[in-house]
Parts: sequence; C-alpha cells; structure tokens
Amino acid sequence: MARRASPARLVVALGVAAMLAVFLVYTAIAGGTPQLRPSELNGRTGEVALIGKVVGRVDGDARGSGLRFRLRDVEGTAAVPVVYRGSVPDLFRSGRDISLRGELQNGTFVGKPGTLVTKCPSKYTDKKNT
Amino acid sequence: MPELGRAALIVCLGLAVYAVAAGGYAAWRRRERLAESAENAVLASFAAALVAGAVLLIALIENDFSFVYVYEHTSIELPRAYTISAFWGGQEGSLLLWLLILTGFSAVAVLLGRRSSHSLLAWTVPVLGGVIVFFSLLLVAVASPFATQAAQADGQGLNPSLQNPYMLVHPPMLYLGFVGLTIPFAFAMGALLARRGDELWVVVTRRWTLVAWTFLGFGQLLGAHWAYVEVGWGGYFAWDPVENAALMPWLAATAFLHSVMIQEKRGMLKIWNVLLVVGAFALALFGTFLTRSGILSSIHSFTEGSIGSWFLGFIGLVLACSAALIVSRLPLLRSKTRLESPISREATFLYNNLLLVAFCLTILWGVIYPILTEALRGEPVTVGPPYYNFFLNAFGLPLLVLMGIGPLIAWRRASLRGLGRTFMWPLGIALATGVALLALGAGSSLPGLIGYTFCAFVLASIGLEFTRGTRARHALSGGSWLGAFAELVGRNRRRYGGYVVHASIVLLAIGVIGSSAYDTTREQRLRTGQSLAVGDYTLTYRGATQERGANAMEIRALVDVERGGERLGTMQPGKNNYFAEQQVSNEAAIRSDRSSGEDLFLIAEQIGRDQVFLKVLVKPLVNLIWIAGFVFLAGALIALWPDAREQRRLALRYGGREALSRA
Repeated sequence: MARRASPARLVVALGVAAMLAVFLVYTAIAGGTPQLRPSELNGRTGEVALIGKVVGRVDGDARGSGLRFRLRDVEGTAAVPVVYRGSVPDLFRSGRDISLRGELQNGTFVGKPGTLVTKCPSKYTDKKNT
Repeated sequence: MPELGRAALIVCLGLAVYAVAAGGYAAWRRRERLAESAENAVLASFAAALVAGAVLLIALIENDFSFVYVYEHTSIELPRAYTISAFWGGQEGSLLLWLLILTGFSAVAVLLGRRSSHSLLAWTVPVLGGVIVFFSLLLVAVASPFATQAAQADGQGLNPSLQNPYMLVHPPMLYLGFVGLTIPFAFAMGALLARRGDELWVVVTRRWTLVAWTFLGFGQLLGAHWAYVEVGWGGYFAWDPVENAALMPWLAATAFLHSVMIQEKRGMLKIWNVLLVVGAFALALFGTFLTRSGILSSIHSFTEGSIGSWFLGFIGLVLACSAALIVSRLPLLRSKTRLESPISREATFLYNNLLLVAFCLTILWGVIYPILTEALRGEPVTVGPPYYNFFLNAFGLPLLVLMGIGPLIAWRRASLRGLGRTFMWPLGIALATGVALLALGAGSSLPGLIGYTFCAFVLASIGLEFTRGTRARHALSGGSWLGAFAELVGRNRRRYGGYVVHASIVLLAIGVIGSSAYDTTREQRLRTGQSLAVGDYTLTYRGATQERGANAMEIRALVDVERGGERLGTMQPGKNNYFAEQQVSNEAAIRSDRSSGEDLFLIAEQIGRDQVFLKVLVKPLVNLIWIAGFVFLAGALIALWPDAREQRRLALRYGGREALSRA
C-alpha cells in the first residue's frame, strides 16, 4: 500500500531516536556496577557489588570503627574479610546472604555506607533453595 | 482432602484443554452449540479452581501439617488472619490464587460477553482457555500446593516481614491487577483470530483494563506505604525488581488506557494498541515470574528454578503467537485516518504513549540488565536507583507537562494562536508558582523546582477544564453551581474521572518531589540530655525503655521533640527482638504534621541507657502520596461507574443488536 509518509511516523521515529540517544548517553556515562562473588574478587579494583554469605563472627561497631565479618561465596569456600560502616538492615547476621557495594583495599573489602542489603530469607523465594 | 485438591486441579486442566480444543474448533467451523459448551467449560473451570482453593484454605485454617505447603508457611501460634494470608505467602499458593482469579475473571467475562459481545466471544474463549491451561498445568505438574508428607507437630511459620496487615491486602490486589490484564489480552487476540478489525474489543474490555489498572496502582501504593511504615529505612520505593515488576505492567496499561481513546475516537493506532495489550499481559506474566520464581534471591539460581523456565517458555509462546497473529492480520489493522498535525490532542496522546512505553522499557532493561550482562560478559552488572531516577526525571517530567496540555488541546489540529489563548492561564499560574517557589528557596533542587512548576501547570489546566465545563453546564441548564458541577461529571464520567486521576498523579508527584528533593537527613550519636537540631526541629534524647511484649522484647529510645520552642511530644523509635524467630526488627517512629503534610521520621540504633545513634529524616509533603492514593481510587471509580448513556451510544455505533444482544 503506497502512502505518503505521515507525520505520525515521523514523530514516532524521531521520538524513538531521541530516546535511544538519551539512553546511550546515559549508559556511556554512568554504566552499572558489576556483581561479583568473593571468589571472583581476586585483586580487582573499582567499585563492585559483592554477593555472599556472612560467615563466622560479626565484630565491631557499624557506627564506630566499622563492622567486621567475613563474606563467603554462597556456594563455595572462597571468602574475603569485610569492613563496613553505616546502617545495618534488621535481617543482617551470620549465615545470611547479603549484597554490599564497595571496593577491595589491601585485601579487605571496604563497604560503602548504606549499601548493605540482606537478601530476604523467605520473601518470595523458594525455601528449598536457601 | 489433598486428593480432592489435586483432582480439582486436574479437572480444571481438563476443562481448560477442552475450552481450547472445542472452542477453537467451534469458532473455526462456526458451531454455535459447541462454542457454547466451550464457554461452559470455562465457567466450570472456575468451580474446579474454587474447590481446589477451598481445600487449601481449609488445610491452612485447620493447621493440617501433612500438607507440605501448610507446614512450610504457617505454625500453630500464627494468628488466624496470617494463616489465611499464607495462602499467597508462598509460590504454590500464590499460583493457585492466580488460577482462582483467572478462572473467576474469565467466567465473568464469558457471562458478560454473552450479553454484550457474543460475536467476539467465540475466539476469545480458546485464548482464555490457553492461559488457564498454563496455570493449571503448572499447579498439577510442577508446583503442587497439595504435596503431602508425614504429619508434623508444628509448622515452620511465616516470615515476620509478611506478618503485617498490609500483606493481607497488598499481594491479592496486585494479583487482581496482574490477572485482570489477561481479559483485554484475550479479547484482543479473539478479535484478531475472528478477523475483526473494528474497535469492539477495545470497547468491551475498557472496564477490565481500568479495573486491573486500578488494582495494580492502588496495590503498589499500599506496598509503598507498607515499606515506609514497616520496613523503616525512611523511603517508600527503592526500584527493587519486585517493585518494578508491578510498575511495568501498570505503565503499559496506562499507555493502553490512553491510546485506546484515539482508536475509539479516530480509528488510529490499532496495531499499537494490540501491541500494548500484549505487552501489558506479557509484563504481568513477567512480574509474576520475577516475584515467584526465586530469580531475585540469586541471579545464579536463574536456570535452576523449576518454575522459572516454565514461565519464560510461556511468555515466549505468548509473544510468538501474538506476533504471528498480528503480522497475519496486518491488513485488518490499517488505520482509517491519519495524524493530521503534530500539535493536536491525538499527537499529545502519542507522545504520552511513547514516553510511558520508553519509561517502561528502560525499567525492563534495568531489571534484566544483570541477566543480559551475565550472559554476554560472564559477569552480572547491576544498575541502581541513579539509573532509574535519571529516567524518571527524563521521561516523567515531560509526561507531567503533557498531562496539562492533553486535556486542553484541540482534536485533529490546533493553531498556535489558539494554543496561546488556551494556555495563557495555566502558563501564567505555572510561571507565578515557579517564581514564588524560587523566592522561597526551592531553587536548591532544580528537578524539584521544574517538577513543581509543571505540577502547578497541570493543576491549573485541570482546574480550568472543570471551571469551563461547569460554567457551560450552568449556562445551559441553570440551577445551582454545585448541581451543574455534579451534572458535568456525571454526564462525562470517563473524562472527568480521568482528570481526577490526573490530579492524583500530580499530588503523588508533589509528595515524591517534596520528600526526595527537599528532604533533610541527619545522623548523630546522642548522649542522654543531649540535643540535635534538624530543620525546625530540636530533638533531645531522654533515655531508653525496655518492655516485654507478647512475642518480642521491645526496646525504645525516648526522644523529646520541639519546634520553635513548642514541645511536640515524645517519640519512641526502637527495635523489637523477636524471641521465636530470633530476629530483630526496626520500629521507626513517624510524626506526621497534619497541616503541612510533613513527616519527622526517626530511626534509633544502638540504643543504650546513656546514648543512642539517631537517624533523623524530615520529609516534607510526603503525606500527599498517601492522599493521592485515595484520590486515584476516587477518580478510577468515577471513570468506572456504569453509564447507561454510554451503553446506548455504543450500541448504536457497533451495529446495535448484533453487538449487544446474542447473535
């Protein structure tokens, strides 16, 4: 069906193009945060989100010198020491799966304040997996 | 008992298979009696689902721990209300709730369709049947709520965070919304299968979409309020994948609600509307998949979850079938009319649709980004709130402006001079508001200032529209102004209900902007007797109390609050230590100021006899968000209210008797 190009198509095309442009600019500038397990951390620099299970004792003070604990792969044995200052979610404790943003400094993962998130143990998840 | 439940599900599956096969054959061969029996199969599938639902409900109420589901989600001391809410506390139960609502909605759609749109029903029934087949198959073969075990003495209990009054209504509301989107989808596909290119499916499903959209919208606000009051980190929305899962279909449905008006009025955007309705349904499925497959707890368990691959497969099937059907019916979907000018009501609707869909897609992109990057780069990359907030500003602010322009601009073609006249008042009010706010110091946040100026523009244009309409009606029929106003709204429920919803979105925007762009946060350790000034407030720590509650140790920090020398009372933020669950829960203290809508939000940590770590948030206008929820509901109800005049108009338009009585 031969038709003259309608303004609707032009508008749609321009709109889509403009949004794509905005989008590309944004992803180019801001990017995202890589999500890693402790075993994948190995000497990596720059900010990452670390996912793992809190193991062993949790020491220290999140509002003072910092909360200290070890984070292990959820399925695995590799672990890394972590220090974190900032607000701590209610569900946080040894044995819980958490996500924390920060970076590796001298072998210790230093968390960014306010980025500690506990994976809710049963909210919406299949219990058999946890 | 579990056998009865399982049998009911198998019967439901069988009936649905019959509805697909017999209904499809009947529609193809035009066998009326057979088509009717397929419709009856859909009705009967609801009865079967009801039986299955009743079995699970009784097992929950009776604490029958020989049901694995009951054992895993309840316990003896769990209060009765939460025992019932455990129905949707887990995967299997919530799938059963999906099926129950789906078959219920389908049955109502069939019964209503018999009266009003019988010609459409023939092909719609097999589509509905197909969706029912999927869910009953899942429940029969993959995730049965009726699995049994040796009876246990007590169950494992329900997650404390789900033991909350909000959780009694919030999930079912979202489910009503998700499932409700199935009906417009089924009618759209039914119309295409029947080779109908007209608008009847749009008209028939308008209320279904509205109902689903209202439930989704209100359900999300309830969830936001729950997060604000109960989770207690000081926010209400965190761009969590679960929250996004509900937001995406809502955005798609919002776009659809607007673009169908263009199809009804001008016969345009037919393909687009079908795409939107398919998209909204697929996103509802995707939302259920996200919240119920466990993919969120760990990205790595993505392929392991048994139910996840089923859902993805079904979503793929739905998309493939819909795409094939749309392509094969393209000639039917050609528009009769074209967009005449980029400055017209139609064009505004089109821009609104593009922005809503773009926003929806960027959210989708953010949600699946970790999965995509893991597949491509071997390492998942997540995007956080900054990503979403950026696009909320980029797409949300233009949407706000369009909400002010759309209702006032002329159909088909608007002249620039006419535009100037129309928008003189709203523009003037918006500018005045902007200048006034700048003088008051709102310039501290540029997006906030822009947002508020836009809000003023929209409110002014809505106000103008109501005033003009009321004045015209008053001139026409005389009587009181209030009567004229009521008559105006009553005669155009859909339109003015829509404006009320617009006003609620503006209220929401004002609340969101106020509480996110102009909030104040302070954190400090306080000794007993020491004070902290935040905004106009002065807070003084007075020590701690500890009390043994029914199932938790309740520790509270006592904080005296003053403003401008006036004592406002004592707030008690604290923590509860739950004995049985061995879990701590944060109990934030919130003081709402009725006159300004501002909240003072306190979180106490490390509460000791002589010191406390206090986090203080001052959130201006945050209460408008909750008020917006009720305005939204009121507007939706006005738009939904049955309208006899509209029915007559539609009957005339769509072939009267053919469409509205049984064919």
